[in-house]
Amino acid sequence: MIKDITIGQYFPGNSVIHKLDPRGKLVLTFVYIILIFLCRNFAALGVMLLYLLAVVLLSRISLKMLAKSLKPILLIVLITSLLQILYNDDGRVLWEAGRFQLTTGGIFMAIFTAVRIAALVAASSMLTYTTSPTLLTDAIERLFSPLKAVHINVHSIAMMMTIALRFIPTLIDEVDKIMSAQKARGAQLDTGSILQRGKALVPVFIPLFVNSFTRAYDLAFAMECRCYRGGEGRTRLKVMKLRLRDYMAFLITALCIVAIAVSNYYLTAVI
Amino acid sequence: MTENILEFQNVSFRYEGSSEKEQLPLAVRDVSFSVKKGDFVAILGHNGSGKSTLAKLSNSILLPESGKVLVNGMDTADESLSYDIRRTVGVVFQNPDNQIVASVVEEDVAFGPENLGVPPEEIRKRVDNALKAVGMYEYRKHEPHKLSGGQKQRVAIAGMIAMLPECIVLDEPTAMLDPRGRKEVMDTILKLNREMGMTVVFITHFMEEAVRASRVIVMDNAEILMDGTPREVFRQADRVKAAGLDVPKPAELARALQKKGVPMPDDILTASEFTEYFLKRFGESNNATT
Repeated sequence: MIKDITIGQYFPGNSVIHKLDPRGKLVLTFVYIILIFLCRNFAALGVMLLYLLAVVLLSRISLKMLAKSLKPILLIVLITSLLQILYNDDGRVLWEAGRFQLTTGGIFMAIFTAVRIAALVAASSMLTYTTSPTLLTDAIERLFSPLKAVHINVHSIAMMMTIALRFIPTLIDEVDKIMSAQKARGAQLDTGSILQRGKALVPVFIPLFVNSFTRAYDLAFAMECRCYRGGEGRTRLKVMKLRLRDYMAFLITALCIVAIAVSNYYLTAVI
Repeated sequence: MTENILEFQNVSFRYEGSSEKEQLPLAVRDVSFSVKKGDFVAILGHNGSGKSTLAKLSNSILLPESGKVLVNGMDTADESLSYDIRRTVGVVFQNPDNQIVASVVEEDVAFGPENLGVPPEEIRKRVDNALKAVGMYEYRKHEPHKLSGGQKQRVAIAGMIAMLPECIVLDEPTAMLDPRGRKEVMDTILKLNREMGMTVVFITHFMEEAVRASRVIVMDNAEILMDGTPREVFRQADRVKAAGLDVPKPAELARALQKKGVPMPDDILTASEFTEYFLKRFGESNNATT
């Protein structure tokens, strides 16, 4: 179960989407998420979904992988949609049973909520699937570099993120190992009440914590050995430069903004 | 002076205790040795003999309590030189998991050159060359956590050689690996020394690995116990054993035979030497009697 976590995972590839400038990708993902919440009718929503589909197909990430990223939020989507159906009384009444009304407004709202949450997660997953964590944090570092003016050490924060992402799989493996070790010594991790299970996890997390400190020391030594001295005077393997494909991506997104503005203005809003 | 790339002069060191009053025993006591350019030196010792401390002393991660460590004539105690010292002497540690910084192999190998401020095109070249040197080029786009232990350690070594150090110190790089991973790493290190002319200081407790060095230093109880070629050192099997170490199996067998009155030379180290001698000596005498 613990190995199913796909958040923040990266699938190396050679597609156009992989090659896009990470700074551009990061900004466009944010723009996309904002846009998806500005859609007021099915035409606009359709445009945004097509956009997403195009990105997925271009990136050659399998739809199955994308579905995997959506699995953990399935429950949230279902519950919020259900609540919309139950409590939204706008629009035409389709069916009535006592105090409960099934309205068109409720159904539309449910659909929009579900699609929005799913698209939000799918879009951010596409970002991490197609961008290596190092590049992503590099992009964050560069985008936020103006903050240096107010004495925020952007480089250190970005470095911490890189290391955190790098160690997620390592620590997951370690949790697995410690759990097996504790089970072998008779710890009951899968049975009992929630409280008991919570208590049983203490002997898993204490060694994990202690080991993490050792790892941190080792890593610090190793980084010093590799002449790490913070962000000053560092160069990068990968130079970030906006190319034609990046401008194309900006253009397409700009067209989407126009399409949504137009459809919001001329078509009747369903929500 | 300059032909010694690494020089320890009467170095002593102790770790800080958990409280101020508590004074830990010396981890390294009055150690002196020097490493010549192009050498392959193995440092042997059981756990706690002080051998790993030597690695951290060699590039000013730790500073000696007394004595001096010189890297190409630069004193490691001089903080303004620590950057130049670390680009001259690269240290690779035991656990590859704790040395890999990035989530993609080539990005990790690039970390060192990036810190040195090397221009991007040059980093690319260095990364490719380093990965080819350790035989991990085809894995350059892989995620480190999906590699085997031996592969990860080779990536860590590539990360060091991409910085083009003159000397590489490896602190038990094979201790956490299975036999196959050990062989991969060992072959890589030998290649670095023989083909690329890199000076290697190899800290280990595996005898079979130390045998392949051109010089062996045996550490015991924070001090240097023996220093010489593998043959010179392992000839004195009793002293090696007293230091809590094993003698390589072929050497031990030769010694056991010797004690039983079978004539064997003193300096047999490897299995192939053993069989060669054995066949030559006894194969021929058999022929003579028949």
